[in-house]
Amino acid sequence: MMTLKLQLIVGAVMLVALFVIFYMVKKRSIDLKYALSWLAVIIFVLVLDCFPRLLDRLSRALGVFSPVNMIFFLGFCFSLLIIFTLTVIVSRMSERIRKLSQAVALNEEKLQCLEKAVAGKAKEREQETDTKAGQREDP
Amino acid sequence: MNTSMKSLVIIPAYNEEASILETVEDIRKNAPEFDYIVVNDCSTDQTLEVCRQNGIRVLSLPVNLGIGGAVQTGYVYAYENGYDEAVQFDGDGQHDAAFLNRMRDHMRKEGIDLLIGSRFIEGEGFQSTGLRRFGIRYFDRLIFGLTRQRITDPTSGMRMADRRMIRMFAESYPKDYPEPESVVAAIQSGMKVEEYPVVMRERQKGESSISPIRSVYYMIKVTLAILVERLRRKEYGK
Repeated sequence: MMTLKLQLIVGAVMLVALFVIFYMVKKRSIDLKYALSWLAVIIFVLVLDCFPRLLDRLSRALGVFSPVNMIFFLGFCFSLLIIFTLTVIVSRMSERIRKLSQAVALNEEKLQCLEKAVAGKAKEREQETDTKAGQREDP
Repeated sequence: MNTSMKSLVIIPAYNEEASILETVEDIRKNAPEFDYIVVNDCSTDQTLEVCRQNGIRVLSLPVNLGIGGAVQTGYVYAYENGYDEAVQFDGDGQHDAAFLNRMRDHMRKEGIDLLIGSRFIEGEGFQSTGLRRFGIRYFDRLIFGLTRQRITDPTSGMRMADRRMIRMFAESYPKDYPEPESVVAAIQSGMKVEEYPVVMRERQKGESSISPIRSVYYMIKVTLAILVERLRRKEYGK
């Protein structure tokens, strides 16, 4: 059995975490998409914390002696899952950043070439009008 | 020889303000048939400004991608602009442009996809330092064990790619410490990979991207990368 004291501590920690995550989502400093998995973990732990009977039954079914260990073990597994998912996401993002920066560099070079070409054309035209004006003044 | 064929020198540069002009001058003088482009990997010094002021074409990356990402930008550029050959050439004065023409001629004659400039075939010039040579020899053995092909200088940053190779590198190129890994990828894909004897100089300015502290990480990472590369399926079979 879980002691009431532990129940309260786990519950308080989870509530604080829940609050922090909601606050950060509200402030848009984290994306709801990535907060969802954390919210799921918190709610899962909270439910087990509030209904220790459920936890007892679950731990007996999985052959874990101490229900408290059960809660930590499951939380740990979920956390690892989330961290691993993040590794996948980071890899994908670094790939995207690479492609984006390369595209930016290539486009900037094209732009430089264009600017040079345009500037060259403008100069040509200027010279043309200059010579035309000179011809007109000549006679 | 077809005169409409064009070749590009890709010069990856990270904080090379002190040596980039010399490098470009070397190419202008000793390999005038080659176009060249500097890939500025978000240098924190004046590399970009020096290039712009001297009218050198630059691909300037907005964030630092590391040598692999920088070089690959050059390959994408070469592919998009229809170059027949592209050669990587360090911006720190290690490489000698006098070899570029010979490498290209040899490559065209023999129909090679990837030609690596090797310091160790004739053993002339700067031969790298003790520990580094040990590492190079280790990769030589590893690559030979896995692919049955001898690459005496797998970490060489001087390598010339033909159109086929350019296309493959433009699509996928390893990120950090890419040299040995990309050689294996090329061999795995059925590319004809060979080496050409060159002479290299000791780097004049700037630091190697591989500091002694990181060399252990380097060895492990590249070994794993090569093993993973060996497991990949052939995607560019002939």
